[in-house]
Amino acid sequence: METILFNLIWIIPLLTVLVCVPLSATRTGILKAIHATSATIVLLIVCFLTYRVYALTGEPANELAAPLALRFFTDIPWLSMMGAHYTVGADGLNILLLALTAFIVWGGVLVSWNIKGNQKVFFALIQLLATSVYGVYMSFDLVLFFVFYEMEALCMYLMIACYGSGRRDYGGKKLTLTLAFGSSMILATLFGLYFEGGVNSWSIMELSKVSLPMEFQMWAFPLMFMGFAVSSSLFPFHFWSPDGHSAAPTAVSMLAAGVMMKMGAYGCLRVAMFLMPEAAKIWLPYVVALLIFNVVLGPFIALRHKDLKYITAYSSISHLGLIFLGLAALTPVGLRGASLQMISHGFLTGLFFATIGMIYERTHTRDITEMGGIMRKMPFLGVGFVLAGFAGLGLPGFSGFIAESTIFIGAFQQDSTLTRIVTVLAILSITTTAVYILQTANRMLHGPLPKKYEGLTDGCFREKLVIVVLVACLLFIGICPGWIADMLDTSIAPIFEKISAATQPVISGIGG
Amino acid sequence: MYSFFNMNFIIPDILLLLFPFIVIGSRLFCNYRSQLPWRIANFGFIAIFILLNFIPLASGEGRFFICNWKIDDFGVLMREVLIISAILGIWLSKDYFEHGADGKPQMHQIAEFIGAIAFATFGGVTVVSACDMLTFFLGLEIATIPMYALTAWNKKDQLGSEAATKYILMGSVATAFELFGFSYLYGFAGSLHFGEIQQAVAAGTNPLLWVSVLFLFCGIGFKLTLFPFYTWAPDVYEGAPTPVTAVLSVTSKATAIAFLVVLVFGPLAPVQEQIAPLIALLAGTTLFVGNLGALKQSRLRRFMAYSSIAQAGYIMVALLGPATTAKTAIVYYLFVYAVSNYLAFFIFGIIGHHREETFASLRGLSKQNPSLAVALAISMFSLAGIPPLAGFFGKFHLFFSGASTGHYALVAFAVLNNVLALYYYIQLIKSAWVDEPDGHLSPLRLTRRQRGVIVALSISVVALGFIPFLSNNVFAGFSF
Repeated sequence: METILFNLIWIIPLLTVLVCVPLSATRTGILKAIHATSATIVLLIVCFLTYRVYALTGEPANELAAPLALRFFTDIPWLSMMGAHYTVGADGLNILLLALTAFIVWGGVLVSWNIKGNQKVFFALIQLLATSVYGVYMSFDLVLFFVFYEMEALCMYLMIACYGSGRRDYGGKKLTLTLAFGSSMILATLFGLYFEGGVNSWSIMELSKVSLPMEFQMWAFPLMFMGFAVSSSLFPFHFWSPDGHSAAPTAVSMLAAGVMMKMGAYGCLRVAMFLMPEAAKIWLPYVVALLIFNVVLGPFIALRHKDLKYITAYSSISHLGLIFLGLAALTPVGLRGASLQMISHGFLTGLFFATIGMIYERTHTRDITEMGGIMRKMPFLGVGFVLAGFAGLGLPGFSGFIAESTIFIGAFQQDSTLTRIVTVLAILSITTTAVYILQTANRMLHGPLPKKYEGLTDGCFREKLVIVVLVACLLFIGICPGWIADMLDTSIAPIFEKISAATQPVISGIGG
Repeated sequence: MYSFFNMNFIIPDILLLLFPFIVIGSRLFCNYRSQLPWRIANFGFIAIFILLNFIPLASGEGRFFICNWKIDDFGVLMREVLIISAILGIWLSKDYFEHGADGKPQMHQIAEFIGAIAFATFGGVTVVSACDMLTFFLGLEIATIPMYALTAWNKKDQLGSEAATKYILMGSVATAFELFGFSYLYGFAGSLHFGEIQQAVAAGTNPLLWVSVLFLFCGIGFKLTLFPFYTWAPDVYEGAPTPVTAVLSVTSKATAIAFLVVLVFGPLAPVQEQIAPLIALLAGTTLFVGNLGALKQSRLRRFMAYSSIAQAGYIMVALLGPATTAKTAIVYYLFVYAVSNYLAFFIFGIIGHHREETFASLRGLSKQNPSLAVALAISMFSLAGIPPLAGFFGKFHLFFSGASTGHYALVAFAVLNNVLALYYYIQLIKSAWVDEPDGHLSPLRLTRRQRGVIVALSISVVALGFIPFLSNNVFAGFSF
């Protein structure tokens, strides 16, 4: 029963699209009601299943899925010619990411209530995008994983170019093509994994049992890791994200920054590092060097921008850098911190883009120098924005603090001078984060109110609901991280075991 | 050796051979406005398609008819691809015989037109069934010569005549190359029969063989639009009437690739490894050049020409794999390619009826005719190889086949090229989805047949990929 529910997570959005096909595009009321209902149902299912995964912790999992402890495991032969299977399952890590996705999709549907253009197509594309993200987090077969991973390209361009704002065609193309570039790097290595693995299987579990030839790993790991890192905007592949996010409509920004950028980090952890641990040990120190840009320079760039979405995009770049710092630390604490940061940043950036979208809908500008004093007119939205900012700069009580401090502790445990230097720099850069967030909030929310904004109204119930739910999630993770950390620990354990058991001698990287 | 009994499997081929004569002959019994030839054509092609589905697959070596006509799994599936292409081709062409922009039909003599397409189809069937060089060569010529005539079918169009002249000149040179290659191959092996050539090749090689291989590849390079020999394609594709361009891009390409498959996995199988670098070079350069060429096009059919040059490069990647994997990948891809390509050409055909066939004519399509814009996006994303559409699974099979013999570098190059391809397909989608409508464009009117075909093709492009269980059925069981 729970297994069926689990598989429904990605099927329901797809069915919703099919149900809406015969409806006329002018009946927007019914369309929106259907999409909102479907998103809510998926959200409820995912919440229930998350609880079930938590409750089942410690109980023996399906043996077929060893060495991972997967619940709701489904394995059906799919493309027999290539040996691809339909393999899905849930452990602590991916069910939490699924929960994050469900919240963001639900929020995304609610905030796009008044989107201009053909709403039927827009909501269908959101649901397709949701299907793709759910599928990525659920699947444990590399072909299935890749199919879902690449599906986003189809939706993203159309959504940004048709429903976005500003330089939408340019932003959409830049985002789609860069992401496609990343996934083509992944695809090229996938074939290598299959043929070099020699087990005639695309299953992540099966491939993790064999040790891949070192020669292959040495070229495949960087290719695959960078391929995934493109979608997490790791330097030097970060350039798509500010342009893409600023051109995208609110819901797409939320989904792109909130969950899709995590797909890359998730792929790095689940596929690249898990399957090629020996090469990971050799290459990851170099990744740490790249992080200096993300973590240290990202906030400074955000400081200089005037466009709210650019600021948030650069803030995302710096926060995603922290995820990679946690991954590159290669310690259990670091990995846990990285996973926590994936979830925490998903909620906070979702909240960020949601409030920005709501404010933009009213002021029709995102330039902070043109705004001022809008806290007086929109106290609720203003407070939502400030809370997202607080979570972003790592205020204790919010999820950001827990995640970031875990990453710093984990990274500092790594016995490498370079990692420690970057960690210290990263800790210091939080100050910069605080500066640009407070400065933005100050310029936008306080000060004299321009005349043209006299008639602004605060959020309606629908918008307030989204903000309240997302803030509640941030607070929940921040105040009781124990439950989530437990779930993450049990699912990270097999990955870390595999990495620490890697037999190749650890060649110390730069400065090691 | 000759089994004169239980030769049911040959019935579809014989029907296909008689078929063009019946269609053309039917003109004797009706006036020029009659729908009879068209009805016969529809009925005949569909009947042959259904009959083909009765042939059980997994027959190992295949069945032989008088020892030089072989029907194996690959052959049966290729026949299906060719017939699907023929059916869609005549459906697409139907509108051109009915009305044009000025109310008059653009082309005349539908019976002969259908007959030519049927001959081309039969030529393709001959290529996949041939067991000796003579039949093989004959098949290739039967497949090509009707295409020359089809290219110039619209007699009033000067571009069409120019294209046909160009095509016939290039095609003759290619034929000369092939004949030269065949003659050297005969000189090398001392036999026309593929089985004996294969034995001779396995026994040892000498420079004579390499010269003949080179010439054969050059010759087929013209027909498959491979890298240095592709230059005729954009002009011919642009000059020919749209339905002919569609047939040219599917039937003719399928025939040419079938020629290579039969050659590489038949007589040349023992030296496949030695000629792999040549194949890899042709594949890599072709797909790169095709993709580069498509970047800057603004006319739809020229754009499709470059796109199909690139697709030929992708198909070549699969030739590097082991026989079964490669054949399955290529047939699967041709199915997918035929469906996606015809979907695009149907849409371009509709546009071409009312407007010029350029990117600018697509402006505002998503506002005026959202369903057509969705269909266009589906076909373009499928050709670009974006999951879950069929094109992705097709390309995945091709790359899988190429990678299975360790050609990772070529596969990586091809995969990266896909990003380039995505760029120009998105460019086309942008015209239809993002650009503001242009008031000067005449409105589009869809007939019921056009609407039906577009819906059916869109569904099959989505379903072939979305439910790739179908591919399973086609290749593993084929339990009709």
